[in-house]
Amino acid sequence: MIRRAQQAIVVFLIASASGVVAIAQIRERDSEWTAPSEAAARPNPLAGRPETAAGGAKLFHVRCASCHGPDGRGASKGPDLMDAAVQAQTDGALFWKLSNGNTRAGMPTFSFLPEPQRWQLVLHLRVARRAAEGRARATGISEAR
Amino acid sequence: MKLRLNIIFMFTVAGLAATAPPLLAQERAYFVTYDHYLEEPGHLEIAVANSSGFPRDGGARHAPWLELEYGLTGWWTAELYLEGVTSRRDGSAFTGWRWENRFRPLKGEHAVNPVLYVEYESINEASRIQKEIVGAGRLPFEPIAELREKHAHELEGKLILSSVVGAWNVSENVVFEKNLSADEGVEFGYSVGVSRAVGTLASGASCRFCAENFVVGLEAYGGLGSTEAFAAAQQRHYVAPVVAWRLSDRTTLKASVGFGLTENADRALLRLGFVYELPIGVRK
Repeated sequence: MIRRAQQAIVVFLIASASGVVAIAQIRERDSEWTAPSEAAARPNPLAGRPETAAGGAKLFHVRCASCHGPDGRGASKGPDLMDAAVQAQTDGALFWKLSNGNTRAGMPTFSFLPEPQRWQLVLHLRVARRAAEGRARATGISEAR
Repeated sequence: MKLRLNIIFMFTVAGLAATAPPLLAQERAYFVTYDHYLEEPGHLEIAVANSSGFPRDGGARHAPWLELEYGLTGWWTAELYLEGVTSRRDGSAFTGWRWENRFRPLKGEHAVNPVLYVEYESINEASRIQKEIVGAGRLPFEPIAELREKHAHELEGKLILSSVVGAWNVSENVVFEKNLSADEGVEFGYSVGVSRAVGTLASGASCRFCAENFVVGLEAYGGLGSTEAFAAAQQRHYVAPVVAWRLSDRTTLKASVGFGLTENADRALLRLGFVYELPIGVRK
């Protein structure tokens, strides 16, 4: 009797877990997810230290690329971080978002990273965007020639 | 001999996996205490670990376990444990399985972040992983063959509270456990932990021994009696320094030495764990 109840519990848990896994794969952008104005106004303390962006690139590769893609252009689980709507946000807003996460939309909380490393990630996003723009310009010039 | 083989095996696996290609790993240094960080959605974490308990009167028992942790959503993580026990005198046995779920009810980061934990355990009395300590009294020390015949179905709940205070994580867990197979009342336990990353800025170069790859901390845990009896004199309490070392972007090695603070606690609890993280279902 106990064994049968045990098996029923296992089947129920596995079935419910599978259903949730399927639902969990659907990601929608949360328009209500905005940083408070005070947090958005914070400047990046590493903005004057471009040499720290390399550390940000390494962190991005480790922490973010699995969801946002290796170049930050987005993948099945995370949006395009080079997108104009993301890049228009302040450094403080991006810092707040990666520190707080948005568990309902599948964005983890990265407050376990030391604060300087979270600023390094923000710096990397800016550097990566500028690099992508530079590459696009260079491609446009060579095509025009 | 068996312990030595276990350690050699774990270090071999760690050495091989350290060369694995990069990806995400979220290192929780604690073995017993839970913080509010759940598994990344769509990521499977595979961990092999061992708890070796050294009682004051000899007769060490080693309890290896396999842990499969999956991030179902941003707010729900599920885990399956398979555990065993071995000792030089008594041989070895499979001691059961556990199904654990953690739910994070609040959306963002708060001063105190609550997580709800529910676990079903189908284990026997020979279980020694000591992932949580509840109630009071010494662990039974009959032969493993005898203990494995005493089966138990248990339901466990935890209230996990976790905060970020500067560079530190501070976590407190309250544990409630009900043995569904015996009339023992509800047993209580606790664990508290503090930890922090050693490094601050990440270096641009790939490095294995950089400070940024280490997390250190301290946890304390123990039983707090039951609804039947508080039994302060029989409780087991431990304090344990912990360290986690990110060997590669996918793998983490964890270690802890727990010191028994009360008469019924083991003299020492040595824990070693190796964690490998695997993303599933990520498409470009």
